Amino acid sequence: MAPLSKGIVMKAWVDADKCQGHTLCAMAAGEFFVLSDVDGHASAPNETVPPELEAKVRLAAGGCPEQAIVIEA
Amino acid sequence: MTDTVPSRAEVHYDRHTPEYREQFEQVTADMQRCPVAWTETYGGHWVISDHKSVFDLARDPQLLSSDHDPHNERKGYKGISIPSISPTQTGILEMDPPDQKDYRALMNPYLSPAAVARWAPMVADITRACLDEKIESGSIDFVDDLANIVPAVMTMALMGLPLADWVIYCEPAHAVIYTPPDSADVPRVMEMYFGMVAKLHSELEAVRQRPRPGLVHALVTAEIAGATPTDELLAGMLSLLIGGGFDTTTSLTAKSLDWLSNNPGERARLAADLPGLINSATEEFLRFFTPAPGDGRTVTKDCEYAGQQLREGDRLWLSWAMANRDPEVFPEPNEVKLDRTNNRHSAFGLGVHRCIGSNVARAIYKTMLTQVLERMPDFVCDSEAAVHYPTVGVINGMQHLPATFTPGTRLGDGLDATIARWQQKCDDEQLANPVVATGA
Repeated sequence: MAPLSKGIVMKAWVDADKCQGHTLCAMAAGEFFVLSDVDGHASAPNETVPPELEAKVRLAAGGCPEQAIVIEA
Repeated sequence: MTDTVPSRAEVHYDRHTPEYREQFEQVTADMQRCPVAWTETYGGHWVISDHKSVFDLARDPQLLSSDHDPHNERKGYKGISIPSISPTQTGILEMDPPDQKDYRALMNPYLSPAAVARWAPMVADITRACLDEKIESGSIDFVDDLANIVPAVMTMALMGLPLADWVIYCEPAHAVIYTPPDSADVPRVMEMYFGMVAKLHSELEAVRQRPRPGLVHALVTAEIAGATPTDELLAGMLSLLIGGGFDTTTSLTAKSLDWLSNNPGERARLAADLPGLINSATEEFLRFFTPAPGDGRTVTKDCEYAGQQLREGDRLWLSWAMANRDPEVFPEPNEVKLDRTNNRHSAFGLGVHRCIGSNVARAIYKTMLTQVLERMPDFVCDSEAAVHYPTVGVINGMQHLPATFTPGTRLGDGLDATIARWQQKCDDEQLANPVVATGA
């Protein structure tokens, strides 16, 4: 995985205990978050955030009504 | 008052009055100075009005119960309406986990984003037909001729009920919401509502006799905690699906179209960049108008929160509407910003009871908004003739919203023919089946 400048890789994931399926993260960053067909709850198949999606993933985290998105960078 | 009652912050708060609707922003600012407060109205209850407290409390179903137990089989709690109006339990909204979770799991495959996406062609066609009925005349009532119809037909489809029956449920479903609890019209409205519930009981039996796919079928074949639900419980669930499906999206549509008519510059900006703005604009209208302004709960154990002593059995109101105007979370909360970011609003509730129909609501709303902006871009609502719900205590909605626009041309057949065509398609293609996990 190509590191960002300064060697920091941003990671993000969805806390499944907090997610209630509001689906706003997939609207903000549909390239990163996927929704379950069955209940619409979100997950991040790949926790490493590509540099070009960092801003979108941060917006998704800020807009999550349940604050279920964890960012580590 | 006895010495066992601790002193508590007290305010006067009555959300069923016309003054509350008219002075909502001022009342909200006043309430948020004391965001966890006791009010004497409706038998006495706590009112939670800031985002942080609403967020904390709504996500703690162990502390706050939604249970409605009219037959006193558990603790006799009164559910989510303040004052409590229904003599029966209103579906999953008046249940606690684990049963609530089991019912939700049963219904999710009909209401998930993937499930709802399958209905996009029907929603677009019904919307098209509603507009076609009015497009040549240059005048429309956005409630009666559009926003009452599309969500109702879609709700019928999801439930697996005859699409044309939307009209039977329409008036009772809306009137039971907008009639104030002290209105002289309550007996008539309740009679109409019980007629609707009786009709739903007969539909339960009809689907048992001749199974057809949809939410009704999922519920009549359900086994929850090893038992078959009673018909009273199932009818409550269906009433909830109808109430939630009919009135809320209608309200969002009416309120936001009225706003866009009054803000033509913002309307032009939205129409010019629908792909870029429709998601954020929809969330902003949800935040700003919050069609379902709050839910009641019952405190399950004595505890201290925000310096206040909550006691077991206390009633409590979580105000999604006031939390959505909290300046700590939403800068300039009383402004509509169509491109607002970090919009973590609670219009669909928070926690385990998040509106199960939220994906349906968004899909229908965006379709109606898009087609109106495309086909009636210069509409002007008649704000004088618009009829707002007299009380916004249950739903922040409108009964009528007449508007005029430059006439256009029809694109297809009328509403009745369109509904009949989609009924055939529902039957032939079993459209109301649940989505199946792909195992991807």
